[in-house]
Amino acid sequence: MTKRSRLTASVLALTVAAGVLGACGSNNGNEPAGNAAGNTGGEGAAAAKDTITALLPPVSANFQANFKQMETEFNKQYPNLTLKIEPASWEDMTQKLDTQVNAGSPPDIAFMGSEGIAKYVPMGMVMDIKDVVTPEMIADFDEGPLKYMYNGEGLFGFPAYMEVHAIGGNKPFLEEAGIDWKKIQQSGWTFDEFREAIKKGVVKEGDTTKRYGFVFATAGVTSKDYLGILVKNAGMPAAFDKDLKYAYTSKNYLTLLTNIRQMIDDGSMPKELSSIDAGKRWNMFLTGQTMITGKGMAVFENSSRLNNEKLDANDGSAVKDSIKTDYVVLPVPSFAGQPAVANAIVDGYVTFRGKKEPTAEHKANVAKAAYFLASGQVAATTNSELFSAPITKSSREAMKSIESKQSDYNKAAVEHLLSTAAPARPDIPAELAAKAIKLETEVIVPKLQSLLAGETTPEKMYEDVKKAAIDTFGADGVVQD
Amino acid sequence: MAREASTIKTRNRLNRGDGGWAYAFIAVALVVYAMFTAYPVISAFIISFQNYQPLGSTYVGFENYENVFKSALFWKAMGNTVIYTLLTVPVALLLSFGVAILIMPLRKWMQTSFKAIYYLPAVASGVALSVVWLWIFDPMQGGILNQLLGAFGIPSQNWLGSSSTSMFSLVLMSWLSSHGTSIIIYVAALLGIDNSYYEAADIDGASFLQKMWHIVIPCLKPTTLFLLVTGVIGSFQVFQNAYLMTGGGPDHSTTMVGLLIFDTAFKYFEFGDAAAQSLVLALVIAIMAFVQFKFLGKDVEY
Repeated sequence: MTKRSRLTASVLALTVAAGVLGACGSNNGNEPAGNAAGNTGGEGAAAAKDTITALLPPVSANFQANFKQMETEFNKQYPNLTLKIEPASWEDMTQKLDTQVNAGSPPDIAFMGSEGIAKYVPMGMVMDIKDVVTPEMIADFDEGPLKYMYNGEGLFGFPAYMEVHAIGGNKPFLEEAGIDWKKIQQSGWTFDEFREAIKKGVVKEGDTTKRYGFVFATAGVTSKDYLGILVKNAGMPAAFDKDLKYAYTSKNYLTLLTNIRQMIDDGSMPKELSSIDAGKRWNMFLTGQTMITGKGMAVFENSSRLNNEKLDANDGSAVKDSIKTDYVVLPVPSFAGQPAVANAIVDGYVTFRGKKEPTAEHKANVAKAAYFLASGQVAATTNSELFSAPITKSSREAMKSIESKQSDYNKAAVEHLLSTAAPARPDIPAELAAKAIKLETEVIVPKLQSLLAGETTPEKMYEDVKKAAIDTFGADGVVQD
Repeated sequence: MAREASTIKTRNRLNRGDGGWAYAFIAVALVVYAMFTAYPVISAFIISFQNYQPLGSTYVGFENYENVFKSALFWKAMGNTVIYTLLTVPVALLLSFGVAILIMPLRKWMQTSFKAIYYLPAVASGVALSVVWLWIFDPMQGGILNQLLGAFGIPSQNWLGSSSTSMFSLVLMSWLSSHGTSIIIYVAALLGIDNSYYEAADIDGASFLQKMWHIVIPCLKPTTLFLLVTGVIGSFQVFQNAYLMTGGGPDHSTTMVGLLIFDTAFKYFEFGDAAAQSLVLALVIAIMAFVQFKFLGKDVEY
């Protein structure tokens, strides 16, 4: 090797080595731009420049396509501030965020379910913006959804929407089975009424079931949704009662588990239910293989309508073997004689902090950005695309100029369900919530999968859950009725 | 004498110079190794004694290890992993060996074509493959595998949703995919066997099976040992299949240690416990590899 080439090669080698070391340095590149700016911004004038970072998934159909416009609009409103949005897919969102949080360098804002706030509170990585939000910002929000963004006394962001996770039926099939869906939309139904209705929805050809009465996605993590939605209607609107005792040891829980198994044993739900995922059950709805589907969201009406349009236009991208459907929002039945309580989902823009303590000015800037995303035109567009009701005065105003394709009866049904929604529970301590999540993941969901597959009985599952709950919370920490 | 001393001095200077350059060149690999292998391992070791929090961890001694050893779920996951390994690795070796033997007599271009075909799943996305397998394991009557069984009058199975079939489904998925690398390694090893052995066997009138038993299998022992050890290590670290296909269910019947570590770290944020689980797993893998080398590698020559 000549002296020159050795020198060149070694310079290149050392450059690469230094590059690797530099890139992996702990305190420079990993610090979010927003926090870095925020830490220096406090010393300057009120209009010091600052950057706010946001990690956002495709919340609605055109949400991510509007990022550039959102950034521009925000900058127009606050010329000294830059909103930097990083897109993420729904699949990557949690993992990406969790990695960033645990590395101590999360984005300033991340879109997620409000129930996830409790996960980050014990780590101290979510940022309380209660002291920096203006009264005008707070006054813009409906009180109910805003409460979901609280944990204890702290406010950790702003809600984007509040929607109900319920069930939905195909109007022609419901009418064919003699079900008065309009009445049910407003008055609800008991489990016994529901059980009879879904039995009527079953269509058989010989031994083969051509149409089920009810199909709910329960494969993998969706089983958590199934139980979570039903349990609220069985006298347990939250995992803890008002005295902070774990509620899923109540006798009503056993009744619910028994009812879950009965629907499968009746033949109204497929015996393979435990393997049906979200995509499959929606496909079964569109192809006429079920009368009622779950979980159901208001936006499904739009999906149904779009597929109908494709069928009318003979468009090859319509779902294979699908038929024309008419989606009707339906409430979940009530169990064990308990009042119906809708499962409200509040997703929003949660505020995070990095390892370094953010300045008050940066916190205020993050609050401005979160409010910008959660209100006005941005929220109106999102709500409109999701068929969800607006939850701020400013977005209600902005929505007036947007034409809605949602049917009046479904709109009214959603509003009625929202009026029965489970209230937020910011009083549940984060430590208790974390234990409940672990119990749910390690015991309840696996046992439910077994119950759905017919490998365990409701009584056995109830005993297993009760034992695990007592092990976790102590005999005095659980409901014993 | 002076001339000799001068020559030695010059050589030493040259050696020293080349050594310096060598260090500069290996610095890249060394830094990458240090940053992405050594540092995470050391970091995991430290975290395993801590209650890890991004804003400040606390030392908890052996508490995380106690949690691991007391956890029934950890042992269940370990049991699942052992069962999965026992069912997949030997079959994978047999299949790879069989395919390599079948490919060997073919012409060069056909060998290459088959090797490419068998290697294809290795370059395909695991997620895409899982989607195809989910389709195959569709539990309804219209599912591909259920239709196949239906042709023989066997009733539909809830492949991934039932504890009795979920592990088998993952094992079947492993049996029917991803043998490309092993096949290529076996073919390379088969090509390395000297023809004189076969010629001598032919002269002695050895049959195909006798040649296989007395020539091929002994000559391939180092390759088989290598594939066995790496296969067991890979199988103990299996994560993707369980994560994408079953999520560990139903009732933890397919929860492998890799998936449990992921859940502990990223679902519950218990990084201390997760690090302890990882190190226990690493220790188990190291013991397994040591035992394999100790008992199977005795008469292996490399």
